[in-house]
Amino acid sequence: MTSHLGAMILFALFVSIVFAALMRDEPREQWRFGLRLFGGLVGGGILAGWLLYPLPF
Amino acid sequence: MAVAAADQIRSPATTYLICAAAWALPGAGHLWLGRRRKGFIFLITLPLMFACGLWLEGRLFPFEPSQPLVALAAFADIGMGIPYLVAKAMNQGAGRAIAATFEYGNAFLIVAGLLNMLVVLDAFDVAQGRK
Repeated sequence: MTSHLGAMILFALFVSIVFAALMRDEPREQWRFGLRLFGGLVGGGILAGWLLYPLPF
Repeated sequence: MAVAAADQIRSPATTYLICAAAWALPGAGHLWLGRRRKGFIFLITLPLMFACGLWLEGRLFPFEPSQPLVALAAFADIGMGIPYLVAKAMNQGAGRAIAATFEYGNAFLIVAGLLNMLVVLDAFDVAQGRK
């Protein structure tokens, strides 16, 4: 879990749980919002990593 | 029953007391207001995130007015309330800048504090009958 990917996934998990609980009231809506946010954070992080990969700095 | 407790509009003094409790212990404001499910989610998740930040060797930043970014990070850290004070009292959060996870640890600590500030604002809205 101390790898870059592991830390990012753990971070996304915590942030998704808290925002889902804050932004939605119904449990079903919280699950949907939380899963979408988690996927967006992890997917966005991986995509940004690949986009930045060719940069020389 | 929980909704009825949350729907009640409270006096300003009680509202600020709820906000103080919500800052001191993540989720305490929501538990006070009868929103137990949310309260327990915050009570478990935020201190766990803060503990992960310490485990990843992040730093609890000191207040240094000469370094505005450090002071802002310290302000975010203190948003965590009692867990922050306990960690400071136990001399945790010294940070190890050469650790591979140092910046991740900082992000966990800072974001945990900022998220708790959002939770305090949410508790304020609920106490005011806005949510």
